[in-house]
Amino acid sequence: MLKSYLKLAWKVLWRPKFFTAISLFGICFTLVVLMVASSVLDHVFAPQAPEVRQGRTLGMFRARMTGEHSTSTSMPGYQLIDRYARGIPGVERVAAFAMPQTVYSYKDGQRIKSLIKRTDAEYWRVLDFQFLEGGPFTDQDVANGAFVAVINATTRDRFFGGPPAVGRTFEADGLHFRVIGVVPDVGILRLVANGDIYAPLTTAKTDAYRRELLGGFGGLLLARSTADFPSIKAELESRVRTAPLPGKEWTKLIAPAESLFDFLAGNLFSGRNEDRSHPERLWAVIIAAMLLFSTLPAVNLINLNMSRIMERASEIGVRKAFGASSRTLVSQFIVENLVLTLIGGAAGFVLSALVLRALTASGLIPYAHFALNYRVFGYGLGLALFFGLLSGVYPAWRMSRLDPVQALKGASR
Amino acid sequence: MTRHLLKLVWNRKRSNVLIAVEILLSFIVLVGVTTLAVFYVDNYRKPLGYDVENIWTISFEKHAPGRSSVTIESGPEDAAAARKPVDRGFVGQRARVAQLMMSLRDMPEVESVAAAFVTPYSSNTWNSDIEVGGKHHRYGFNAATDDFARTLGLEVTRGRWFSRDDDGAAWTPVVLNERLAREVFPDKDPIGQFVDEQRPGDSQGPRMRVVGVIREFRKDGEYAAPENFLFNRNRLDDPDVEVQPPNEIVVRVKPGTTAAFEEKAITRLRSAEPEWTFQAEPLTQSRETSHRLWLAPLSAAAVISVFLLVMVAMGLNGVLWLHVTQRTREIGLRRAKGATIVNIQRQLVGEVVVLTSIACLVGVVIIVQFPLLDVFSAVSPMVYGVSVAISLVCIYLLSMACAWVPSRLASAIQPAEALRYE
Repeated sequence: MLKSYLKLAWKVLWRPKFFTAISLFGICFTLVVLMVASSVLDHVFAPQAPEVRQGRTLGMFRARMTGEHSTSTSMPGYQLIDRYARGIPGVERVAAFAMPQTVYSYKDGQRIKSLIKRTDAEYWRVLDFQFLEGGPFTDQDVANGAFVAVINATTRDRFFGGPPAVGRTFEADGLHFRVIGVVPDVGILRLVANGDIYAPLTTAKTDAYRRELLGGFGGLLLARSTADFPSIKAELESRVRTAPLPGKEWTKLIAPAESLFDFLAGNLFSGRNEDRSHPERLWAVIIAAMLLFSTLPAVNLINLNMSRIMERASEIGVRKAFGASSRTLVSQFIVENLVLTLIGGAAGFVLSALVLRALTASGLIPYAHFALNYRVFGYGLGLALFFGLLSGVYPAWRMSRLDPVQALKGASR
Repeated sequence: MTRHLLKLVWNRKRSNVLIAVEILLSFIVLVGVTTLAVFYVDNYRKPLGYDVENIWTISFEKHAPGRSSVTIESGPEDAAAARKPVDRGFVGQRARVAQLMMSLRDMPEVESVAAAFVTPYSSNTWNSDIEVGGKHHRYGFNAATDDFARTLGLEVTRGRWFSRDDDGAAWTPVVLNERLAREVFPDKDPIGQFVDEQRPGDSQGPRMRVVGVIREFRKDGEYAAPENFLFNRNRLDDPDVEVQPPNEIVVRVKPGTTAAFEEKAITRLRSAEPEWTFQAEPLTQSRETSHRLWLAPLSAAAVISVFLLVMVAMGLNGVLWLHVTQRTREIGLRRAKGATIVNIQRQLVGEVVVLTSIACLVGVVIIVQFPLLDVFSAVSPMVYGVSVAISLVCIYLLSMACAWVPSRLASAIQPAEALRYE
């Protein structure tokens, strides 16, 4: 049965070529936009190297103090992570990193602008960097305040013109570092793992950060399993509540452990005095935007499909007169439409790959490497099928309701 | 004629509804993109308020190892809350900033140096609001030193910028931009007026008194909507322990200064203050970066909507073409009764125009809600008006072009042949 549907679909595809071309163009273009969008989202949020353990990791990305009249929002401070997040049951490791800072180096009169990220040694054990050269700095290096650094591949090229870099020294922000490792570039939108230069926390120009409760740091909590998340969150919340606040005007401090997605949702959609993050609202906005965007192409495709059906009224009349049920006709038409969508989808994949490659090459987002991986492929396939059904169901239903006598006469309205 | 066309459209309402929906959606997409474009163009024409050429900004981090971005939203009564002054070392830090500025002034390329919290095109924002006569005025806020206006080339339209004359005043001197001055003091001279009201029960902090008005200070650059702005004076040698040190220095250099100035300046600053971290950038470069950020969404939206419209145009063309082939008999009959080719074409294009008008009417009703409900308060109704007008012209041209090609097809129909079909 399906085989004859497919055969028929193939034949129909070639009949009015112009319409097939228009439909394919629409489907292809819609999928390209949706796939590029989902690839960018995937690049920002999905677990990928070096954040391979992202699924078991909770982050501390925001701290908020509230008082009677004021609210202060910032990143957590080192003390908040160091003193309150360590030793929570169920947490394997706690890493702290300073927010990247732009530093300048001057080499032969040229300025080199780099992002320096200062971290502790645990950072290298929570994340899983694939070292191109050398290795990470150790607890010993951090304790001694050794001026050693891990740099990314681009920074290596900028300073040394290529490998090998380990053992060589460079200047940044007036400080001299010795390279001990080189890692691949990480997209700048990866808040946790990005950076040009990674150096021990203790190479900071002053140790004032050790006393700060708020500002400038992010924390990573690697849990034994996701099952421990609720208890970890609750424990951290109750511990943070005991933190001494910096002034009488402040009454409450929160610093939740959450995923990056929850953090962003909290930034965008939580009210000024709301503690909870609302990831479902961010999801709703993303899905609504995608739906809204696909509405216009879908209506366009429905219109085209409707016209094509009316053109085929006599064929449908004959089939109905010979006893084809509405269901048969509907499923035939949906199969036809799905075939069309999948062909458009295939073209969309090729085109998306090209667009993503161009976007990567354009350097609009430094170090971002957008690619079609199996996850994005999955989203794309789902989107194509959804789109095919969306634009096929109504015309099919209309078709199945055609009156055979009228249809045979060729008078349809 | 129109009534007749309406009837014809109504007779085929099932398929026409879908076409109308398609036109409506295209119209809304088009209005969205043109509104953004018109909004940008409108903002771009307005004065910026400061010079961009030959100015460098130097920002510095005082101790944190990481860039700390702190957003503070204060309620209007916050200033009134009784606080004990806490010495956080601000006096010493301000003195160090003054030292840095001195060492920059010694450089031969430098014309003038000033310090502030917020510099043009920076991502730092500081907003506040104030209640005057029961009305809330929201404004962007900055605190700057006495040389700031001269260094950035701000145009003082009334009164004066901050100076040593403000030392020891019993009030906090402020400078407003013209927009805020007109909003708060619509019918008086703002110079010498107090901006905040003294209300019973408030603790007696110094009140804000206007010493001058500047033309404009559009911190976010040319594409952002102009907003209210208020400057406080920042005095580096202020004995008050609560006055925070600024974190940005602006430098006006002599024309013709090259990029080599930067390394010299940074080296000088680093040796003066080795514990701090410095970044320098010419304002022209900050402007370029900021423009890229503003234009990226517009260009993405424009590319996508052009593709959408091409797709819609092709689809509409195809659908109308099929309609014509389905209506062969009707057209044949009309031709037999003596209708000319022009008549037929006029009818077919007329039908599409009626459909487009219905769709656009609904579209305009939807769009009008945006200014009425003040969804985007920065966008003025005029901007909506212009963009709706542009979109209407585009949509009518598009749909008429789509109807024109199939209508030529209809004119090739021979009456005798069409009627024989029956």
